[in-house]
Amino acid sequence: MRAVDDLELIQPPPAPSRPLPPTEPVVDEPMVLNIGPHHPSTHGVLRVVAQLDGERIVSATPDIGYLHTGIEKTFEGKTYVKGTTLAPRMSYLSPIHNNLAYVLAVEKLLDVEVPERATVVRVILAELDRMASHLVYLGIHALDLGASSLMLYTFRERESILDLMEMTGGARMFPSYIRPGGLAMDLPEGFEAAVGEILDRMPSAIDEYETLLTKNPFWRERTMGVARLSAEDAIAFGATGWLLRAAGIAYDLRKAVPYCGYESYDFEVPVRHEADAYARYLVRVAEIREAVKIARQALSRLPGGAWMTSDRKVAPPPKQELADSMEAVIHHFKLWTEGFKPAPGEAYVGVEAPRGELGMYVVSDGSGRPWRVHMRSPSFTQLQALETMVKGGLLADLVTGVANLDPVLGEVDR
Amino acid sequence: MAFGREALRGMGITIRRFYSTYRHGLNLQPSAAGDLPAPAEARNTKVPAGMPTRVGGLATVQYPEQKLPVPERFRYIPFLVYDEEPDHERADFDGVRCTACGICAKVCPPQCIWIVQGKGEDGKARPVSSEFYIDASICMSCGFCAEYCPFDAIKMDHDYEFSSYERHESWVFDLQELLHPVAYHAALHPSDYAREAAEERAKAEARAAKEAAKAAKAAAAAGGEAG
Ligand code: SF4
Ligand code: SF4
Repeated sequence: MRAVDDLELIQPPPAPSRPLPPTEPVVDEPMVLNIGPHHPSTHGVLRVVAQLDGERIVSATPDIGYLHTGIEKTFEGKTYVKGTTLAPRMSYLSPIHNNLAYVLAVEKLLDVEVPERATVVRVILAELDRMASHLVYLGIHALDLGASSLMLYTFRERESILDLMEMTGGARMFPSYIRPGGLAMDLPEGFEAAVGEILDRMPSAIDEYETLLTKNPFWRERTMGVARLSAEDAIAFGATGWLLRAAGIAYDLRKAVPYCGYESYDFEVPVRHEADAYARYLVRVAEIREAVKIARQALSRLPGGAWMTSDRKVAPPPKQELADSMEAVIHHFKLWTEGFKPAPGEAYVGVEAPRGELGMYVVSDGSGRPWRVHMRSPSFTQLQALETMVKGGLLADLVTGVANLDPVLGEVDR
Repeated sequence: MAFGREALRGMGITIRRFYSTYRHGLNLQPSAAGDLPAPAEARNTKVPAGMPTRVGGLATVQYPEQKLPVPERFRYIPFLVYDEEPDHERADFDGVRCTACGICAKVCPPQCIWIVQGKGEDGKARPVSSEFYIDASICMSCGFCAEYCPFDAIKMDHDYEFSSYERHESWVFDLQELLHPVAYHAALHPSDYAREAAEERAKAEARAAKEAAKAAKAAAAAGGEAG
């Protein structure tokens, strides 16, 4: 390495002794432009290598891996319960869904019954998580396209959801509140009122966002017909979620492969056919409204009773018992030091996360730690569609494309 | 024409919001720093729909003079609890509840707890820790230690302000730094503390009942012998 002092010694290159011959303007060679990895509109450390012909995009290749954490490998050294603190950290915008998918997969391995109360609470939290994630998408998407005030409003509503998470699970982002067998603890006092307040506020808040965007000529100009991804392409890329639904395919895991009793809720799957950025925006806004509907139904049917399974293979003995019985203490000690041991086998559970199908694949070898955990993260799968979406468009449309794909880089790189 | 109208409608929202924040702020303007309502009241303060519920004043919260209240379950870094008036079981250990069972160290996902079990003068292990360290720079604030401690000896603190100019030693908390009296815990976690107190009472009653039964039996036996 060169010492700092040497830098001053570097001389400017000698001026050419005679003027360079005039060069032909290069017309057939595209310009390569590096966007990111540190750029506000790449939503994290995403690098896009774009080839441009003037303003037109010839190719746009995402270069990923800057946020690699080895999280899948880390799972193998942790007991199943410790994994619940790890799973949400993959996607910091929809932590509850990560938590839920992982726990559902572990429960499938364990084959435990989950009390009704826990299941309903999971639905409420998952729908609130969907709202929070979509609100970030809305605000940031608008911000990327130059409409800065919307973010202030969406983050205001998101803040109240995060406050609720903090009140319920103790942390705003990563409460790890959903555990194999149920919930970590019972709901706090005032939970229902707090959820009700958020749900009451949400519809008028969404109206407000829509007034700012839906008919706004600038917003339409920047999103209509931009970043198109046809249904065939979307399927070929393995895209799920709102990318499919904006291309006319009503595919939603909550309807197709219901979990947590979603089949018993009354809600619609919003579908558009234009397959462009604007259609995706409309689908997501409609999804927030549906999420409010589902959460309201769940809240009205919230039963009392246990929030954790009574299966002692998975659930710890209640604290009361620890005081009286030495056996309970030993069981408690064994359960938390070695962890429960699911029978050897594998389980895959996919949930409809805000960004599409989020799957957790867990393999057990019969020990207290997973042999392998793999995450099927929607952002990773869908990011590869970026080039197809923006090819031939203008450079400014790349920003729309990335913002519209709404990738979470923690999910992409893992 | 429609082109401009929709854009103006959107702008109307922004202006309305700006104005209502301003008016709301004037109403709630704190008279002096530190004037935020107490946590319980702050939650119930009625503010117009759509306004942030936890912020008062024209300006935002004047941190660090003012702070937003945090809910009871909020967790940051663990601390250890000691009873100032210990019951007979823990009296020998200055009321420190931790028995050095090691569960917290085992369940801690990033492995940031170190415990050394205490030894008596005869070299025998005692149910108390002689050293207890938590590396706060590693702790992920998951709260597992507090959740799984069978003795309610470790709890999650609400204090989130301990930035320092030094990155290593000042972040490793030792036993003395971690220990807090039970009153501190009770103030932070009133409902959790109420549960503990109820359990404690139940335990004491059961013990008293057992002793009474034993005494009655002894008396009966003595009576039988005499008769
Ligand atoms: S689990 Fe509780 S009693 Fe056991 S070592 Fe940790 S703090 Fe001490
Ligand atoms: S809060 Fe979690 S990470 Fe921190 S010391 Fe306790 S168990 Fe370990």
